[in-house]
Amino acid sequence: MFKIYVVEDDRQLAGLLENYLQRFGYATCTAANFERIKEEFEREAPHLVLLDVNLPKFDGYYWCRQIRNLSTCPIIFISAREGKMDQVMALENGADDYITKPFDYDIVLAKIRSQLRRTYGDYAAAGGDRAVQLEGLKLDKDRLYLSLGDRKVELSLTEVKMLEELMRRGEEVVSRDRLLEKIWDDQVFVDDNTLNVYVTRVRKKLAALGIEEALQTVRGQGYRLVPRWEEAR
Amino acid sequence: MKLFLKDHRALVAVYALQLLAVSGVYWLDGYRDGYVVLYAGLLSGCLLAGYLLVRFLTHRSFYACLEQDGAMDAFKEVEPRTPLSESLYRLLKKQYRAYVTEINAQQYKITRHLQFISQWVHQMKTPVSVIHLLVQDSDDSRFVAVGDEVDRLRKGLDLVLYTTRLDGFAQDFMVEKLELEALVRSVVSEQKRLFIRSKVFPRMQFPSGERLFIATDEKWLSFALTQVLTNAVRYTTKENANLTLRAYRRDEETVLEISDEGVGIPASDVPRVFEAYFTGENGRNFRESTGMGLYLVKQICDQLGHRVEIESAVMEGTTIRIRFGGRRTETLQGSKEV
Repeated sequence: MFKIYVVEDDRQLAGLLENYLQRFGYATCTAANFERIKEEFEREAPHLVLLDVNLPKFDGYYWCRQIRNLSTCPIIFISAREGKMDQVMALENGADDYITKPFDYDIVLAKIRSQLRRTYGDYAAAGGDRAVQLEGLKLDKDRLYLSLGDRKVELSLTEVKMLEELMRRGEEVVSRDRLLEKIWDDQVFVDDNTLNVYVTRVRKKLAALGIEEALQTVRGQGYRLVPRWEEAR
Repeated sequence: MKLFLKDHRALVAVYALQLLAVSGVYWLDGYRDGYVVLYAGLLSGCLLAGYLLVRFLTHRSFYACLEQDGAMDAFKEVEPRTPLSESLYRLLKKQYRAYVTEINAQQYKITRHLQFISQWVHQMKTPVSVIHLLVQDSDDSRFVAVGDEVDRLRKGLDLVLYTTRLDGFAQDFMVEKLELEALVRSVVSEQKRLFIRSKVFPRMQFPSGERLFIATDEKWLSFALTQVLTNAVRYTTKENANLTLRAYRRDEETVLEISDEGVGIPASDVPRVFEAYFTGENGRNFRESTGMGLYLVKQICDQLGHRVEIESAVMEGTTIRIRFGGRRTETLQGSKEV
């Protein structure tokens, strides 16, 4: 399991990040003493560091340099400043990447994953990463297919994004707006109709696995995936 | 020269009068040698002329300074050779110093203020991040509503930040050759929440054959485009309206048009929309306007060498058109991409 060291003086932010990262299968530790970051780093030996620029005592750039004396582990800066010069400074001081506040969880995760892949190789991607599971239904995000038992069906990238969100939520209702956000793609801007089309497609794919009526429409709210397929088997 | 003559008109007049008076006295006394009188007069006149000439030469800069319009540092032109010039020189210099000190003090205050604002904005981004993370994952309608408000907060913060940076624009920008479509797509995608929540759908109409390139600063142009998009959405009240983003080349220039199906701007307001703090009719009906959005867009485009135009019809919609000077793109064709 990968360990991530979060150096952020805003407790709320640090706590939220920790929670989220733990949900995705990462171990975390947060900085407690902002005068002893280097020692904490040595003691905890994390695989990756999330480092805020504005810290009490010394700034993030200083700690980055300090850590770099000890290790080449990936360091990702977090900062409210998005000027080009700030980013250049961060990279010049030894960081590997840069995230600006406010940020989305997706971005943090994606960048962390990318750095870990590059440094530690493909094999050790953290658990909740490549595949999403719900009661035996398995979604492989990298290879784009959905399987139940020994039946398998291929999916398009958009269908994968939709199913990922629905499966992650378990039986919770996922709003139309959230689904629209998830499937929104740089190349194709989605509208209401498109969403309907994709819901139909996903239903067809589920049917191909023998799953009927699992993807329910909740009027006025959105959609929900009800994991009732064990019986269908 | 003119001032000098005007100034000494009285002197010359009195001198002439005086000459006549003295000659007159002697004449009345019986002295009748006319030529000697004239000769005396001529001599006297030459003395006066000599005096005036010397005075003119030594006070030339003095009079010149008084005659011009008066730049702040006009005192430097005065050569303090005579008592009068010297006094003027000292007076002007003192005033100049006083004004410069005052201006510097004001400038310092402004710079400090801007620094404070900039720092404050960056600090505010942290709690905004926290709230953003807290509500991101939930579909609870209250959290979604909070999410919307946080988006607005963030936009407001960005607005302030970019406004304070406008002054120092020259140090803060970097022109590079960029593909227009990629940039527009990225700006639109960044605002996807806005589009989804407000049910306004962006439609891209870019030429399929050729790729359009422009020379611009990515950060500043993205910010300007975001302002335009935010406005377009804010002033669109009907559901499932379209927002069209069209690009084409005309007359050697690349042009981007952003058209909405919103409430439009009354003809009387259109010429003023680019003024700072101008909110107009729409500002009264839609409470949120700061009046700064389009002002910033125009300032940024001016600085980057792009031309921005606006067309609008009430109840039909508004179109913002940006012309990216073609010639600059040509110059960059051959150079390395930054």
